[in-house]
Amino acid sequence: MSETREVAVVGGGLTKFGVRPLTWAELAQEAGEVLFRAVPALEASAVDSLFVGAAEPERFAFQSHVAPLVAEEMGLAPSRIVQRNELACASGQSAIRSAYAAIRAGLSDVAVAVGVEKMNIPSMAEANSAMACVLDRPWDAAHGLTAPPFFAMVAQRHMLEHGTTEEELAAVSEKNHRFANANPIAQFYEKKFDREKLLRLPLVAPPLRLGDCSAMTDGAGAVVLAAEDRVRDYTDTPAWIRGTGQYADFHNLANMESLTDWTGLTRASREAFRTAGIGPSDLDFAELHDCFTISELIEYEAIGLCPKGDGGSFVADGRSDLGGDLVVNPRGGLLGCGHPLGATGIAQAVEVSQQFAHQVESSRQVPDPEWAMVHNLSGSANVHSVMIYQRGS
Amino acid sequence: MSALAEVAERKASKPRKRRGAVTATTPATPPPPSGPPERLPYLLDLYPLESPTQTRLSPFFEALHQGRFTTTRCRKDGKLLWPPRVVCPVCHTAELEWVDLPSTGRVYAFSALLAGAPIGQETDLPRVVGLVELDGSPLRLFGRLLGIDWRECRIGLPVRVEPLTLADGRAYYAFRVTQ
Repeated sequence: MSETREVAVVGGGLTKFGVRPLTWAELAQEAGEVLFRAVPALEASAVDSLFVGAAEPERFAFQSHVAPLVAEEMGLAPSRIVQRNELACASGQSAIRSAYAAIRAGLSDVAVAVGVEKMNIPSMAEANSAMACVLDRPWDAAHGLTAPPFFAMVAQRHMLEHGTTEEELAAVSEKNHRFANANPIAQFYEKKFDREKLLRLPLVAPPLRLGDCSAMTDGAGAVVLAAEDRVRDYTDTPAWIRGTGQYADFHNLANMESLTDWTGLTRASREAFRTAGIGPSDLDFAELHDCFTISELIEYEAIGLCPKGDGGSFVADGRSDLGGDLVVNPRGGLLGCGHPLGATGIAQAVEVSQQFAHQVESSRQVPDPEWAMVHNLSGSANVHSVMIYQRGS
Repeated sequence: MSALAEVAERKASKPRKRRGAVTATTPATPPPPSGPPERLPYLLDLYPLESPTQTRLSPFFEALHQGRFTTTRCRKDGKLLWPPRVVCPVCHTAELEWVDLPSTGRVYAFSALLAGAPIGQETDLPRVVGLVELDGSPLRLFGRLLGIDWRECRIGLPVRVEPLTLADGRAYYAFRVTQ
């Protein structure tokens, strides 16, 4: 059996996230612009494989077969593997995982993982239909299930079972918006949200208010992954992928065992920690999937940062902030940066790479980080995808 | 009439377009500015297809039309399956039977969509929805909650299954709060 190779993210770039006056294909072109600017040593001819994270181009842009489209828009001609990765909200991480697996297995040496999503279209009812179809369309979504009422029910049960409060939910949003406030690519860059303002925003799905929900966002990004013998061609501060874990345990809501105890994430993160050979206390920061405020609270618990039920006080006491036990979402999270489904996982990896290289704004720079976790959930938290990175020196 | 016969009849009644026929070149008249807003294309339908030509689960919808709420149970391992299936995901056999489900239950969790609805639901807000624990059953099903304002709704309220018929004749169900 041949030896597996180590793999690192060696750099990447992001477009501006927000409500953008441009098409899906134009976003893909911008991904090329930012990638080649961020990784100056990258030559298109060196990229042997391309993985495109895109959740719903069929409905948002009425376009299928987007991997060759992205290759053309970015001027790439992959000779080994070219594919699209669809895993709803985790499509970007899915692209990175496939690139990682391909390089690790020796099938690729230099791969690009791209994420593109264009969600703001003339009919937002159409966009909401696309989002609803991430869930069990005929048996759940047709009855009115979309993401906000789902996560609202999760929040309601967490409040009932553990005494979590609206103020604690708002504390997640306040923290992540504060980081996004300093992140120029963020949808809510320079937009200020304090807890009082967040608690006055309109309800979307009670008990969740507008500030508890990540936005519909247009955005794209790309990262380069390289095999260990090619890493130094591109960077002095590689982000080595040391551990991964993923778990899928149901689809229809009837088959979700507990709304508030995300055992799938516990399993996925344990597997990621096991393969990385570290534990939660070794992490220096984490990019957790805060599609809704309640998600981040439950993620603290499922990963083991705090006991079950204590997620609310964990954030309210500042333990997930800079200077706390473990800073979570110094990028600004999905709440502050926006959530262009396919691009979110790419944006988290770019954040890890830039944090390791001390390239982010000083107000959100984690002091000398070595270990980082990235997590995405997708759908109704029925899939959890976790990766652990270590800074190379 | 068989499905094939139906297709044949539709084909026969459809006016044939001559190959190579030249269509008129006059530009289309723009809609009058005071007219109703143009509808965007309806790409997909959230509701399931129900006829025997489309799904092997058509007995579910036929039963619902008759007022019965059913699902499939595996004859081999006894597992009650939701949604109804054609193959048991536990033992991977097709030895399933249709069984009646309880028609009453209680609200386990609920919310209401106040904004951001998908196509077909956008003029129907707020939409109260919830998870319902069916009485005497291991199933906890998602559905719309009828007969209650979201501000009045409470966990534990009793509900009953309400079979409904959509405007196009398809069967549908919701839960009606009975207190």
